[in-house]
Amino acid sequence: MNINLTDKHIALRRAVKSFCDREIRPIAADIDKEARFPWEVVEKMGRLGYFGIQTPRELGGAGMDALSYAIIIEEISSASGSIGLCVTVHNSVAVFPLLAFGSPEQRDKWVPPLARGEKIGAFCLTEPNAGSDAGGIDATAIPRDGGYTVNANKVFVTNGGVADICLIFARTDPAAGRKGISVVVAERGTPGFVVGDLEDLCGMRANPVSSIRLYDCQVPAGNILGKPGMGLKIGLAALDTGRMGIAAQAVGIAQAALDEAVQYAKQRRQFGVPIEKHQAIQMMIADMATRVDAARLMVYRAAALRDSGRSFSTESAMAKLFASETATAVTDLAVQIHGGYGYSKAYPVERYYRDARVTRIYEGTSEVHRMVIAKGVLG
Amino acid sequence: MKDLHIIVCLKSVVLEAPRGRIVRTAENSVMNPFDRPAVEIALALRNEVGGTVTAVSMGPPVAGNALLEATAMGADRAVLLTDAAMAGADTLATAAVLNAAISQLPPFDLLVFGTRTADSDTGQVGPQTAVSLGVPMITQVSHMEPAGTGCRLERQCDGFTETYECAFPAAVSVNPDAVVPREIGLGDLETAFGDKAYDVWGLEQIGLSPEATGESGSPTRVLTISPVKTRKACEFIEGDDAQKRDELINHLSNAGLIG
Repeated sequence: MNINLTDKHIALRRAVKSFCDREIRPIAADIDKEARFPWEVVEKMGRLGYFGIQTPRELGGAGMDALSYAIIIEEISSASGSIGLCVTVHNSVAVFPLLAFGSPEQRDKWVPPLARGEKIGAFCLTEPNAGSDAGGIDATAIPRDGGYTVNANKVFVTNGGVADICLIFARTDPAAGRKGISVVVAERGTPGFVVGDLEDLCGMRANPVSSIRLYDCQVPAGNILGKPGMGLKIGLAALDTGRMGIAAQAVGIAQAALDEAVQYAKQRRQFGVPIEKHQAIQMMIADMATRVDAARLMVYRAAALRDSGRSFSTESAMAKLFASETATAVTDLAVQIHGGYGYSKAYPVERYYRDARVTRIYEGTSEVHRMVIAKGVLG
Repeated sequence: MKDLHIIVCLKSVVLEAPRGRIVRTAENSVMNPFDRPAVEIALALRNEVGGTVTAVSMGPPVAGNALLEATAMGADRAVLLTDAAMAGADTLATAAVLNAAISQLPPFDLLVFGTRTADSDTGQVGPQTAVSLGVPMITQVSHMEPAGTGCRLERQCDGFTETYECAFPAAVSVNPDAVVPREIGLGDLETAFGDKAYDVWGLEQIGLSPEATGESGSPTRVLTISPVKTRKACEFIEGDDAQKRDELINHLSNAGLIG
């Protein structure tokens, strides 16, 4: 497998880092503390193409490859996990399914404003009683008056508080079981579309994660994505792409924690020397650097497979599993290296520690990913 | 005002040279950060008045990436000046190459440089090129706007702001704080690095003999480079409080830290 970082990828990383240094890093701690969605930055990102990274140029996007996508998410997430989350969910599980499964009319209608960041997208699968078991959802979209009447209670919706275009997983044929699940596009402002309270989360606090509730919300028949009954197929395809974004996000958070730990270990003195001179710290740094490097290679491999048109489902699951567990382990060690200061909001590692934890849960838990990987290996 | 042709001269600099060895790669070569405001001021003037911006750089092939970044920022055309015979050029020999290349381009109205480079820091190439081309140059420009058949410029020096009016053609170097360079859009970057559309000119194309540039065309030689060893020393000021105060003020003032 050839992972070829071209001059474009190198220039891209530099350009994204430049944007993050100027616009995101200076506010990252504040937006986390205030649980504030930074519209002023998001609007700039929209104009620069961050909301249509892999969307074709003719639909208003930047037309980039999956490897570029991984690099972008990694860099943004190293500055702010919350903004990285907003961008990756928007691109991979909101815009991508519209591109992959939407009719030309659906793509032309919804994708350009999403790709330009003028509208924000969300993926609404999880319910109070259905998460890992996507086939167990209760939401319904019943054919009526030439369209569908949707009733749904979706929770933990990333971008939910600001989302304009939501992909709702609902049963269009309740009698058909898993084959009766479809994806319905619901737009904010439609009567019956209600945004619930924002969740008070441990990490990713600058992302307006909320519930989305639909009460007898009437949508046109043209709002069914693909065909009725394709819901789980669309969901799985979206999550293949989505988990690569979360893996890239985990790498970015882990890299940020490693960088902070290295910097701190060089300046903090104990027993008469900088703590980097102590072997105990050196062992931690070595483990952190090795794991981050391995995780990054796995993410880039999954992206390169995708770019070459080959199957990347097992590899992206492996990358997501390993990168998210790396992020929690590495941020934990970064806190340990910082000692008491690592547990204080005076240093950013406590934010990385909180932000990293959810990467093992959302867009498929580590346990679900082990199921996916085992299936890929065992057949 | 008629459409302008603005030429920005920029350099690809090396970020690091471990153990003093320079191996140029795409990873360690970046557009000189002092050139970014130069590109920005050129693009802003073009957008206001109309015309074209041409980015020009002399360097090894990897310097083409800095030109592509300038293209992604909005430059209309880019020219890389690269030739094995240009290697080892000092500032005068570099100015000779730029002069020859600029003479091959359509006539310019404005020539724009950064104030200096992040790697060699001489600040000489801009003025030497302007002199060799016989155009007036205003350095450290902090503000620029079109006026009459040229532009009105401000530069800051020793706590004063000087205002100039200058007819085209002219040359300027841009104060690093004059403007904030624009961020690069992802689509623009994708297009620039996808097309890789820049001209590559060697000595033959610019009509310069090998003797006129590179090491053989350079009147100066860097004999050695060694890190500066800094020594920290404490100096105690003696006397009564008033004497100590006056002496401290004197010291700080002479060091240029206050005043």
